[in-house]
Amino acid sequence: MALYILRRMVSAIAVMAMVGIFVFLLIRLTPGDPAAVMAGRNATEQIVAGIREQLGLNEPLPVQFIQWLSAMLHGDFGTSVFSGRPVLELLLQRLEPTISLSLLTLALSVAVGVSFGIEAAWRSGGLVDRLLSVFAAFGFSVPVFVIGYCLVYLLAIRVAWLPVQGYTPIEEGFGDWLSHLVLPTIALSLPFIAFVARVTRASMLEVLSEDYMRTAAAKGASSYAMLFHHALKNAGVPILTVIGLSVAYLIGGVVLTETVFNIPGVGRLVVDAINNRDYPIIQSVLILTSGLYVLINLAVDLAYTLLDPRIRY
Amino acid sequence: MAITRRTFMESALAADAVLALASALHAQNKQTVRMIMEDIQVDPVFSTSSAAINHATAIYDTLFALDANFLPQLQMVSKWDVFDDKKTYDFTLRDGLKWHDGTPVTAADCVASSRRCRQVEPSGQLLLERAANIAAIDETTFKITLHEPYGLVLETLATTGQPLFMMREQDARVPATDQVTSNIGSGPHRFNVNLTEPSARVNDRKDQYLPRGEAVSGFAGGKVVKVEHLSWENIPNPQTALAALQSGEVDFWWQPVADLYPAIESYPGPVLDTLGQHGSDWLVRMNFLRLPFNNALMRQALLHLIDQQVFLKLFSPDPKLGRTVSLMFGVGSPYSNDVNTAWFKEGVDLAKAKQLITESGYAGEKVMILDPMDWSEANLASQLLANMLQKAGINAELAPMTWSELAVPLGNKEPVEQGGWNLFIATFADFEVRRPMATCLMLMNGEKPGTAGPRTRNTKRCEPNSRIRRHGKSVRNWLERWNVYGGNTSGLSSFARP
Repeated sequence: MALYILRRMVSAIAVMAMVGIFVFLLIRLTPGDPAAVMAGRNATEQIVAGIREQLGLNEPLPVQFIQWLSAMLHGDFGTSVFSGRPVLELLLQRLEPTISLSLLTLALSVAVGVSFGIEAAWRSGGLVDRLLSVFAAFGFSVPVFVIGYCLVYLLAIRVAWLPVQGYTPIEEGFGDWLSHLVLPTIALSLPFIAFVARVTRASMLEVLSEDYMRTAAAKGASSYAMLFHHALKNAGVPILTVIGLSVAYLIGGVVLTETVFNIPGVGRLVVDAINNRDYPIIQSVLILTSGLYVLINLAVDLAYTLLDPRIRY
Repeated sequence: MAITRRTFMESALAADAVLALASALHAQNKQTVRMIMEDIQVDPVFSTSSAAINHATAIYDTLFALDANFLPQLQMVSKWDVFDDKKTYDFTLRDGLKWHDGTPVTAADCVASSRRCRQVEPSGQLLLERAANIAAIDETTFKITLHEPYGLVLETLATTGQPLFMMREQDARVPATDQVTSNIGSGPHRFNVNLTEPSARVNDRKDQYLPRGEAVSGFAGGKVVKVEHLSWENIPNPQTALAALQSGEVDFWWQPVADLYPAIESYPGPVLDTLGQHGSDWLVRMNFLRLPFNNALMRQALLHLIDQQVFLKLFSPDPKLGRTVSLMFGVGSPYSNDVNTAWFKEGVDLAKAKQLITESGYAGEKVMILDPMDWSEANLASQLLANMLQKAGINAELAPMTWSELAVPLGNKEPVEQGGWNLFIATFADFEVRRPMATCLMLMNGEKPGTAGPRTRNTKRCEPNSRIRRHGKSVRNWLERWNVYGGNTSGLSSFARP
């Protein structure tokens, strides 16, 4: 196991190095001049050239890459070219909203999706199962921003139960914090609920048709025991895989949701950074999210051993 | 040089918005005003964006400010004097001026600020060229000594496009190519680091601020703040901004997207109105250095092709919020005039345009229009412009890109085939173009800046900065000032005159 984890960690470093090179080249080969954006449209050519020099943008690409890599390895994420503030400070400032939204979305998606999937599998062909099909089609096909705007119109503007946009840190009050996250969480969760529910249903249906389930029923096991002690545990591996994949999709969804609901999280930070050609922020965020993705995949792989004792690395 | 037909839209004018808003919301008894603004860079010398200048107007103060008649009035300065040689100016600061960190404003701060800001501001560069010395005499007095008499010193210190904001000496010593992020000024608002969030900047009323006693006039007069907090919220998504406005979560939206005007007006509560008197001017800017607009006949043809009324519907669907204009130097300023505009401002003349195109010898060269896709009005206007040119037989093409990408071709002086450009749509707050000396549109320094026109014998003689260089020392009063850089634009317009 230890050797497996070590191997995975080494491959994770290789993956992140490739991501780093790719990200570095991608944003520099994209047209755009951060110096001109920063200086504003009335700036003289002289000032723009001065800023370009100041940012080191006149250096050859390999030199820029080595400077950036060296700084990253020393824990220096650089300074935002737009705001002039350290990238790490900006990232830390934006982490709480993103983590809050992601965790709430994940919790809601798993709780509702798994429950929905179990119920649909248990009463296959029944009303709940048919509703799940309709809901899944809806959740998969309607974009997050459409759901978001509909929720805003109904619950924030028409009945004014919830705020339209923004974020309140949890230390300023749990109620305020939660009220700002309800709509974005629902909007972001719908496709994940549909995804998790569909996979749970399929996996549970397969397990419920196994001989040992019939044996358990013949032995007089309760519905609860059959579903949760026997079926769910055996159906857990694909469900866990889907949840792991969902985290990756979640990162993309968070960017859009934070924009629609004006949540000052990492997603908004990176969108603004792309518009401003703020290279240090784009590079840092992409490297960190790819690292996070690699780690989550590793955690999911390791979690398989807990659900299925036959799996060994 | 942008002597094209200019469409005009009234929208909230930056400084006017700030000043007018305070009194409007005082009636609502609100302690915090929440305004939707762009993302802000806090150094108004480093960044020339409207958002940076608007924000700085709240945080920083200026030595002088232009009043509604474009005359410089005292602001931080309590008195000034000019010696008999007309080359030495003394300035004394008002008593009791303090920075937001509590330290007193000194003459040394003002000297350093003047030097930093003037490095990047067009009219300031004219002053620096003539300055033999700018130095503090004591804590509250400083002196400007010139090589030769110059009649526009006060006006330069009161400039509006990129105002001369006073900073602390340690901030002002930062090079103009580095960003000052301390946010410490001496203006009517104080940056509140405790209330500020990642997407909102909060500025408190500075209780120790001493507004001048005079009534507000233009940028001059007493800046009396009537709310405790001014929150600048960055909501880049227009739909979200609209929803926030409709739900009452924000109080003010500066320059909403034109497509949403009907939605704003249809909902009870928000009022769509203009706060500034003169709004923004929209322009088509031409690259005079390359084919085909290096030919005066092609420039004349373009003036005959553009239908301002049609463009106006894009910028301002509601006729009461906008109107067409062909004036030089903004609307309603002492320098505004329509000399040599009659020949093209009557409307579209497709036949005349086609005739001029033929006479120019245009051979179907590609005309590249830079099209910023992430700026909806400019994107639509670019498409419309391309359509108008194509109708006249011009081989117009759009180059779709984001605003940040647009800076690259704009700085390229080469032909289109080598990454250059021909046309793009731009907008300027009207007050930015009212004063020829202060606007970058009038630099006319040939190959140097990406968007200026070439320096020709004719334009060199007529462009305002050149006129100021030749006649600045003789300026003694307002009438002479008007004559130097505003009064006679017939020569300035001649680069396109038939």
